[in-house]
Amino acid sequence: MPFSPAELASRRSAFREGMRTAVGAPAAVLFSGMVGFGALGYASQMDPWLLATSSLTVLALPGQIVMIEMLSHGAPWLAITLAVTLTSSRFVVMVVTLFSQLDDRDRQPWLYAAVHLLAMTAWALSMRDFHAIPRERRAPFFLGLALVCGLVTLPGTLLGYWLAGSVHPAVTLAMVLINPLFFLLTFTEVRPWANRLAIVMGCVLGPLTYWFDADSSLLVTGLVAGSLGYWVDRRWLRKPQIASGVG
Amino acid sequence: MDWQGHAPWLALVGASVGTYLCRAVGVLMAGRLNPESEVFRWLSAVTYAMVASLSVRLVVLPQGPLATVPLWVRIGVCALSVAVMMSRPKRRLVPALLTGTLLMLGYGMLT
Repeated sequence: MPFSPAELASRRSAFREGMRTAVGAPAAVLFSGMVGFGALGYASQMDPWLLATSSLTVLALPGQIVMIEMLSHGAPWLAITLAVTLTSSRFVVMVVTLFSQLDDRDRQPWLYAAVHLLAMTAWALSMRDFHAIPRERRAPFFLGLALVCGLVTLPGTLLGYWLAGSVHPAVTLAMVLINPLFFLLTFTEVRPWANRLAIVMGCVLGPLTYWFDADSSLLVTGLVAGSLGYWVDRRWLRKPQIASGVG
Repeated sequence: MDWQGHAPWLALVGASVGTYLCRAVGVLMAGRLNPESEVFRWLSAVTYAMVASLSVRLVVLPQGPLATVPLWVRIGVCALSVAVMMSRPKRRLVPALLTGTLLMLGYGMLT
């Protein structure tokens, strides 16, 4: 069944609402993150066009940083491909958890294009807001949000590269910090206890596993901390809730 | 062929294709997952753990300029910002972001 005219109108307004959600703090944070990345690339003596292209084609800051770091150490391209892909492995589950909440009528081939715009900022905000958005409005909401986020990456990267040599280093410091800080802050708004526990344990376990083996760190941390959080919630936290809900 | 000059671009192509494939596999699997199911709950927890670990990595094990800042300063600034964020039931994102940014700016100016 296709979307009714009323639904289509609602979807157009959801698209604009997504754009409005992105404009302001989220876009500013992502912009700063990309400025920081451009500055990092400048310090690593990279080609600015390589940096700018990566912001459009990789569109994932952690992977881009891994790439720059390995390039500056002269790592072979195949090793870089593998390391960045492992860093991006989180996208498999990020996309599954977010897109499984879409309307079934939105399961169209165009999702394969839209998914390229999915990165941490748009994911975190959509996960936060989707439960309050009717199903048929979710895909256009995400698209508006992710489009604005995607648009700031290129100018941010180039600006960061060109500013790096001329601004006080303290400004670059603040710009680099603001991106991870934003994600830590949005995590405080996550509601299910399984996810809260997973976040706390992921924060502790992440650096530890990275210290043992950088390549497998992300997968191991995700599986161990995530499963533990889910299990603790299911075993001890969820039952009283159901009982009180029934009683 | 000058492979030395092309190597970074080759790495970029590999990184971009690898990253896109991860996203595409997600789309392929998303249609089969019921968001009301236990598998969804477990997978959400796994995803949040991965994203959290990656964010903390950028603070605790940073590349570039942040690496010159002592670890306790980085963690302290983030902890203070999170405290500002959580100081009210209605979250205060912008004041919390400003706290972190200005503190780091101040640290950079003073050292």
